[in-house]
Amino acid sequence: MNLRVVDSGTYSEPVQQALERVLIDRLGDGEIEPTLRFWYRDGPAVPLGRFQAYADEVAADYVAKHDVDVVRRITGGGAMYVEPGAVITYSLYLPRSAVSDDVEASYAELDQFAIDALRDLGLDVRHEPLNDIAHPDGKIGGAAQLRTDDAVVHHTTMSYALDIAEMLRVLRIGEEKVSDKAVASAEKRVARINDHVDASRSEVIETMIDTAGDSYATVEGELSESTLADARTLADEQFATDEWNRQL
Amino acid sequence: MTRSGSVKVPDGKLVEVTLTGDERIESARVTGDFFLEPPEARAELEAALEGKPLDVDREALVEAIEAVDAQFIGFDADHLAEATMEAIA
Repeated sequence: MNLRVVDSGTYSEPVQQALERVLIDRLGDGEIEPTLRFWYRDGPAVPLGRFQAYADEVAADYVAKHDVDVVRRITGGGAMYVEPGAVITYSLYLPRSAVSDDVEASYAELDQFAIDALRDLGLDVRHEPLNDIAHPDGKIGGAAQLRTDDAVVHHTTMSYALDIAEMLRVLRIGEEKVSDKAVASAEKRVARINDHVDASRSEVIETMIDTAGDSYATVEGELSESTLADARTLADEQFATDEWNRQL
Repeated sequence: MTRSGSVKVPDGKLVEVTLTGDERIESARVTGDFFLEPPEARAELEAALEGKPLDVDREALVEAIEAVDAQFIGFDADHLAEATMEAIA
């Protein structure tokens, strides 16, 4: 299968999350090829899981004061703290026919090229069900998916050099009083790629593009102007609004 | 009054239920880091809980939740019923 690789374009968090909706719909309509996209962010943000309660996950006063953009995703799963250059986020937009119907198996399959790349760089990582990439020191990353009738988006964020102390100030898992201590302590265990390998962030991404080439016929590409225009409009109408982001 | 209950699925997701109502569940909100396909089915899960008396038994909750046409990923009907039972207890 051909896979267009988009490794460029810096966008705000609402535009990033709007792109997920636009690209899964365009792929489902047959308007774009299967695509692998790497994300470049313009500021610190919290992508919130679709079904999470804003007040449960985010230290609201802190994020308001420090201009952290909290944006609800179209996918389920958990909240993360992200900073430009400190995480690696990628998305795969694929036809549903190319993805296993077994959801649990599909998480492992679609993260495999990333796991292969990290292993090639010398990192001891493995898939941990349902949707984690794990290192003996902790969680390196997590994935989330949305399926429509014809398409699947699978996006994963991995910690490259995340500021864990800042993460614990932004997310409420850092609060001592969070009721479920077991959850909090488990989620606090984050492992970072840069603590274990010498490679720069862009070298990690290059390695991932190489390993993607083992499974797909990769071609370089970029997002079209009309895709970006749609995403910017949708960001304004939905992903930058309190009505969407604070609905829960 | 508002009541809530939550379940952390072993090796799975967190499911939280927040309810209002004194004799019956008047409103229900289901949140957490789970996955649900299609995502719009969250409203149907909440509707399945609403109207149930506060002394509802667990079986009846599981049955109502399983009647929702959706794929639960990272949790199942039993977990949502358990969180609901904790909220109304």
